[in-house]
Amino acid sequence: MKGLLYKDIVVLKKQISTLLIFVVVYGGFCMAGVFDFSIIGVLVSVFGLTIPMSSVALDDAAHWDRYAAATPAGRKGIVAGKYLFTLLVILVSGLAGTAIMLGMSATGLIDNPPQELVVVILSCAAVTLLLDAVILPFLLKYGAEKVRIVSMITFVLIFGSIVLLGGLANNGVNMPQLPGWLAAALPAVFALVSVGGFALSFAVSLGIYDRKEF
Amino acid sequence: MNNALEVSHLSKDYGAFKLEDVSFTVPGGTIMGLIGENGAGKSTTIKCILNLVRRDGGEITVFGRDNRKEERAVKGDIGVVLDEVLFHDVLRPQQVGKVLAGLYPRWDGKLFDHYLEKFGLTGKKTVKEFSRGMKMKLAIAAAFAARPRLLILDEATSGLDPVVRDEILDEFLEFIQDEDHAILISSHITSDLEKAADYITYLHNGRVAVSGAKDELLDTYGKLVCGRSELEQIDRALLAGSRVGQFGCEALVKDRHAFARRYPALTVDPATLEDIMVFTGKGDAQ
Repeated sequence: MKGLLYKDIVVLKKQISTLLIFVVVYGGFCMAGVFDFSIIGVLVSVFGLTIPMSSVALDDAAHWDRYAAATPAGRKGIVAGKYLFTLLVILVSGLAGTAIMLGMSATGLIDNPPQELVVVILSCAAVTLLLDAVILPFLLKYGAEKVRIVSMITFVLIFGSIVLLGGLANNGVNMPQLPGWLAAALPAVFALVSVGGFALSFAVSLGIYDRKEF
Repeated sequence: MNNALEVSHLSKDYGAFKLEDVSFTVPGGTIMGLIGENGAGKSTTIKCILNLVRRDGGEITVFGRDNRKEERAVKGDIGVVLDEVLFHDVLRPQQVGKVLAGLYPRWDGKLFDHYLEKFGLTGKKTVKEFSRGMKMKLAIAAAFAARPRLLILDEATSGLDPVVRDEILDEFLEFIQDEDHAILISSHITSDLEKAADYITYLHNGRVAVSGAKDELLDTYGKLVCGRSELEQIDRALLAGSRVGQFGCEALVKDRHAFARRYPALTVDPATLEDIMVFTGKGDAQ
């Protein structure tokens, strides 16, 4: 497993470096007041979605899985490695995003309280986890090329729905009110759905890989 | 002597191609050569052993353990070189070593470095910059460094020049000096197998056409060169195949000693593995 994680990191070093430049640039824009601080949260999602997808694409190009399946890692190890790598990317980019936002808050560049910033990052991380849960089984079954469109549709549907609902609420449209207890429990429910969805997705991917022939 | 690998009544149905009732055994301390024309089932057999494809029937055991029930332990005992090198282009040999160190329980980094040095792969080049020969050497170094007991090589020596092939065959021979080690190697280059293999299994159309000890096969089979009229008088049951040309005929004799007793006037030369493969594969071709 350690070997598979190391492989993903080394193989994607170039792409990760490029994405880090994005962080610096967008961070600069935030400081300059061009973009809202929440763009950092969006970057967490971009990292969490594009890096695992690129990793599968590069494995496909090298036919690496055929070799990896012949090692003691086997089919289960390949799937576990990919899910673990995805979690790692979300975790690291989430932590980095939190650090950047808290840094901006501490230096007075943004006025929002630290709790709110952490909630933004956690929400984006949870959405990313859910998106990855949907996309990863397709990625592992059909490969990165065929799944690009699925991932884009999923991304647009989930983020689009969030933006649409927010827009409707801001424009005074009467939205159905959630019961107080549900509204209070919503963050925990969403976190559970994301984590549960990711675990379910892992089980589905194991099933897909178990039937795969190399 | 324990068997390193036992393949028993293996079958795999792809629809257009079937691997049927393939059985052979690789004893410890030996090299088994798997030969056959393209599409004969060599790679499918290897994929079934490595559980890369699901077999439809039969049994496969590696050092007495079922290759599916105890997959992880079995794969820890196997070093693999597949027909193409599947390491990512951007990796350097040392990085390949670090990746595989995390996958193989008995990975020997020093041995890997030793082979990299021996094969001239110590520079800063990435896999992308390697020739096919260098890539194969890297894969072979990795297979050895996994400290396997069974090496499985699928067309590993194809694409290598004769000097390097010879060098690698020497490594294989050294590897099997340990009675607990064995090698299964599929190759089109039958001369390599004549040099190194102890046993040969010839697959033809998904079935085992010939299997046995190499020396016995080479001692038993013979190649007859004669005229058309002489060929017509020979009992066809003694021949595995024949080829009639403009200037003469050639035939593969199944048992050259028995043949010599029955037809003392005809000269039968020892057959090569290539002769056995070509004549058995083609049957009675004109």
